[in-house]
Amino acid sequence: MSHSETYAEIDRSAYTNALAKCSPITKTFFALSALIICASVSTIIVPVVIFITCTILVLSLAKVKACLYFNLFVYPTYMLVLSCIFLALFFGSGTTIAEIQLPWFTWSIFKNGLSMSITTFLRVEGALSCLFFLVLTTSITDLCVLLRRVHVPQVMVEMSMMIYRYIFLFLEISEQMSLAQKLRLRRSGWLSSIRSLALLIGSLFIRTLDQGERTLVAMNARGYDGEIRILEDFVSPRKLVLLGIVLFDVLLIILLFLTLNIGVV
Amino acid sequence: MHIMEGFLPSPWWQIWWIISLPIVAYGVYKVAKLTKKMPEIKPLLALVGAFVFVISALKLPSVTGSSSHPTGTGFSAILFGPAITSAISVIVLVFQALLLAHGGITTLGANIFSMGIVGPAIGFAIWWVFKKTRVNPSVGVFVAVAVADLMTYITTAFQLGLAFPTEGSVFTSFATFFGIYAITQIPIAIAEGFLAVLIFNFLSKYKGSILQKLGVLKIPTANTERKVEPQNAV
Repeated sequence: MSHSETYAEIDRSAYTNALAKCSPITKTFFALSALIICASVSTIIVPVVIFITCTILVLSLAKVKACLYFNLFVYPTYMLVLSCIFLALFFGSGTTIAEIQLPWFTWSIFKNGLSMSITTFLRVEGALSCLFFLVLTTSITDLCVLLRRVHVPQVMVEMSMMIYRYIFLFLEISEQMSLAQKLRLRRSGWLSSIRSLALLIGSLFIRTLDQGERTLVAMNARGYDGEIRILEDFVSPRKLVLLGIVLFDVLLIILLFLTLNIGVV
Repeated sequence: MHIMEGFLPSPWWQIWWIISLPIVAYGVYKVAKLTKKMPEIKPLLALVGAFVFVISALKLPSVTGSSSHPTGTGFSAILFGPAITSAISVIVLVFQALLLAHGGITTLGANIFSMGIVGPAIGFAIWWVFKKTRVNPSVGVFVAVAVADLMTYITTAFQLGLAFPTEGSVFTSFATFFGIYAITQIPIAIAEGFLAVLIFNFLSKYKGSILQKLGVLKIPTANTERKVEPQNAV
């Protein structure tokens, strides 16, 4: 799937999933609190619990397609496995579990290096599941409204909304250009592929500036005075659900302290 | 490659957040001041943000076989200055974390520091020095962008080295991380510098007026007169 198709798929899911009408405050609160707990721990049980919870919520409660959800994990997991193997083999100190005599030095694999790589792996997967829960259930427009509510500077919110709009537009244009170049043998060598990429980005930049001017004219024509005002369709959160999330977080923290001494390796 | 969600262990991601926040706040203050003075600049800045996102989604052909993406912030710093670039890069990094799973919310602080603050600031400084010395602007663009890219990765290696200490010291683990990065990143930095020169030349050839209007450093006031240009390269 090309980039823009993946984004479109994510965007569609954010608007059409079963939790779409749920208050964005609830969803963001859940995702961020779980994310912060998950990123702060170095044990194995808590991230696994968070991963399972988020996966169940996304698949059964929000009814997002499983292939979309798991597809999102593929690329980060691939990078993560590489980094974790690297961490396990070269990092750590203290007790060694294996020592390999090489002609020029002794290569030792440490116990805490291995446990560090396993906890890192689980932590990243847990944190990613929180992030994907948020992305797949909450639309960016809702998030922008939420940002405005928590008094993020107006300029930043407006720019986020506009950037989000134009990402899709420019991705489409750049994919069209890229296809056109591919048909004209742009990849015939390293030098020519760099040159075609430069042409692509250069014309994209010119398009960008041109579009900026046209957008400004259009906005002026509609009485733009330096501020975008939109009607907010904002669902307020249910107190019971918020309480449930707080309870879940407290349980996670209790679980964290209970499992603090369980070693990894 | 940004540091991915949850990769940094506990004290470090909070520390990088705390370090980055004031600098980003300054950038936002600059943007707010600028847009208050010239509301017409807002669409242009937003479009530049989208532009940085899109070019970071493009694959950069690399000689080592692995493909990476241009960071784009070095070039943006040359055009718009480092403070504005850092404010825009925050939004871009959030969208990259949400849509691409590049980077993350907890590691946002660390990524802002390497990609949005250190890289652009150093790139801009180099560009400024080269501009004063009046050598061929292509050389300036090349060195500024390549060094900005490289500095981004040196900072990332430093952040990872601090977070994952090895047997000897922080320095040895920094050296290990940078050693790994250097294999892939030095060719990529050179390729990105080269790419930036080509883009720069392309722009000065076809839209020199815009570079002049930007002063290549000064922000343009987007005027409303339409310039009819041929639609290129589609």
